[in-house]
Amino acid sequence: MDISVRKRAEVQLIQLRGPLRLGPAVDGLRQVIEEAVGNGDTRIAINLAEVPMIDSSGIGLLVRFLASTKQRGGSIKLVQPSKFAVQTLRLVGVLNLFEIFDNDDAAVESFA
Amino acid sequence: MSADSSTGGQSGELSDLLDLRMPAESKAIAKVTDAISETLTQLEIPEEKRLEIALAVQEALANAVVHGCKSDPSKEVRCRLQRDSRGGIVVIVTDPGPGFSPAMLSDPKQSERLYADHGRGVFLIRQLMDEVHFEHGGNQVKMRKY
Repeated sequence: MDISVRKRAEVQLIQLRGPLRLGPAVDGLRQVIEEAVGNGDTRIAINLAEVPMIDSSGIGLLVRFLASTKQRGGSIKLVQPSKFAVQTLRLVGVLNLFEIFDNDDAAVESFA
Repeated sequence: MSADSSTGGQSGELSDLLDLRMPAESKAIAKVTDAISETLTQLEIPEEKRLEIALAVQEALANAVVHGCKSDPSKEVRCRLQRDSRGGIVVIVTDPGPGFSPAMLSDPKQSERLYADHGRGVFLIRQLMDEVHFEHGGNQVKMRKY
């Protein structure tokens, strides 16, 4: 999985490419988020437009960090999850925990 | 990953389209899941169904590696892909572990578990596949998609 990170208006924008699943992909995203949170950056938007699948490990990571960033006054918001990713999140009952946006701009503005 | 694509089989048994073995480590799972996906594409399985099967396989392999084999790469997980006479897809994942009882698993959709970082794998498999059977004391899962 490819992970790119940039910052805009105090929001960490994380772009993922590839399946978010147990192994290097989840490990890589965990590292990126941990670093951001460690630096005090708890406002995070993750663009999932090019993520065809999220497995239960990926979901566990997202909900775990959603809870911890919220505790610190931030959040994790999702951008353009695929139809199948949305289906998966809904199946395990966590879809409604997240705010979801059609594009990065809208996600960034929502933190204002 | 070692692979065997065979067309033989005893009468009444399904033939293996793929018979893959992998070391029980998380970084080995993607290759098997991707090989399954590629074969399903070649079989012209529709995309939505393909994704559902691939995710179920991903979850079964993850459970086999993490829980069945305690992520010990000296142990081996086996994944077989078959097609039944009605065109249904069957995947069998086997590990050498002690097995488990699926009945003991908690419901991950209970409110107190929604923020848990684990415990959704078997639930997802059951949602994604049409038939799921845990066999041999739980160290083999047989999944079917019509």
